[in-house]
Formats: sequence, structure tokens, C-alpha cells
Amino acid sequence: MADVDAAVKEAVVEALALDDDEVTPESTLMDDLGAESIDLLDILFRIEKSTGVKIEASDLGDYMQGGIPDEEFSDENEVITEKGAQHLKTVMPQTDPGELAGSLKAEEVITLFTVENLAQMVKSRGDGGG
Amino acid sequence: MATAVAEQTLRVGIDAVAVARLQRLVEGDEERQERLFTARELEYCRGKRRRYEHLAARFAAKEAVLKAFGTGISQRMRWTEVEVLNERSGRPRIVLAGAVAEFAERHGLDQLDVSLTHTEDLAFAHAVALWRPEAACASI
Repeated sequence: MADVDAAVKEAVVEALALDDDEVTPESTLMDDLGAESIDLLDILFRIEKSTGVKIEASDLGDYMQGGIPDEEFSDENEVITEKGAQHLKTVMPQTDPGELAGSLKAEEVITLFTVENLAQMVKSRGDGGG
Repeated sequence: MATAVAEQTLRVGIDAVAVARLQRLVEGDEERQERLFTARELEYCRGKRRRYEHLAARFAAKEAVLKAFGTGISQRMRWTEVEVLNERSGRPRIVLAGAVAEFAERHGLDQLDVSLTHTEDLAFAHAVALWRPEAACASI
């Protein structure tokens, strides 16, 4: 597979019309870089074209939840549980389970998803791991 | 003695899509089109002189609905699970499916309406969702 990190960064830079130095591995796609849904779609299509790895927007949620049942990933108010937060640490290593558990809503998880997290997801898919 | 009356919760969502960008993403690629739009949506837009304006408006509607749900694209939802159909009058209506329909059911969606408009350059959609009081509660 091509250099995934470079391919993901290039996709983000081009889809969001940013300068190269505005995008770092730690940049969050939505909060830091301001990606909207159609931007994310554009990014994923570009990655698919350059790496051959097909990712649907809906796959992001599956990846972040890691197969944990909804009722175990978040509580009745859809706030991330300790188990959910521990899993997020494995796919989003920059997160702190102690901070997220009991405070972060499930739908807010994507706001923490970084360029590096996306590259890791592409690599896992490319390796047949997803 | 006063009686507390639970109120319904109103949520709105709005989205704008650049027509040329949507066209660039899907033109000539049926597989991509089918990932974003249902067969009925593609059929409605097929042959229209301003086909990509209509498709862009439908994409904007999907996002506007998910914003009115408070979820955006964050959960495991597919674009085709928010479908824009048209009444004979031309008025759009939304049909939900899959994970989006389950979310709506779980959170007590009562009514959902959407309005679309588009020009040569931009398509806009505005969605309004009304949630029943017992379920609209804490999680939205």
C-alpha cells in the first residue's frame, strides 16, 4: 500500500483546501480543521482512490465502538461508559478514559477523531483488520 | 394546584452544499451515487436538467435531518437511511430507515419536516424535528 500517512494527509489538505502545514497528525478533523459531512465524504473518497481502502462514513462509528454493544458502550443517556472509554483509548490513543467516561456523549466521539486516527483506521483496513 | 405539563422538544437542522462539489464527487460513478442516494432519489433526479442541484439538495437534507437529530454523521448511520421523496405537489417528505429510523424511534420522534431550495451554485435544506417529551429528554 502507498504511504498511508501521506495519503491521508494529502486527502485532508486537498478536500479542505488547507495549506500543508495547517494539517498535523494531531489535528481533529471536525473541531480543529472544520470538516463538515461533505468534507469527510470527500476525504474518504480521496483516500479510497489513492490507497484502495474503502471506508464509509458509517464505518467510523463502528470503528470507534469496536463491536461493543450500544448498551455497554454508552449508558441510558448515551454518555460513554468506562468500558467504552477504555476501548476508545485503543483506537484513539490520545484520549484519556478517565476524562471521557461519564462525560462524553457517544455522538461527540467523532469530534475527537484526528488525522492520525484516520490513518490508523486506513492501515487496519488495508491490513484486512477491519 | 398547578400541574406540570411536559413540553415537546423542537430541534432544527440546516445544511448547505456546493452543487459543483457534490457533482465532482459523484458524477459518472454509480457506485458512489448509490452509497449516498436511494434508488428512488436517483430516479427522481435522473433526466432532470438540473440534476446535480437536486442531488445536492437531497444530500443537504440528509445532513440537515441528522443535525436536527443532534447526531450529525457521528453514529453508525448511512446516507441512504435518510431518504427524500416528493409528494405529487413537489413538497419533499422524509422517509427514515435502518439505524436512523431506530434512533428516531428510540428518542421519540413525533414529527419531521424539511424544506429544500437550490440555485445553480448552492443547495440548502432546513429540517425541523419535534420530539415527544418523555423521550426527547436527556439524550438529545
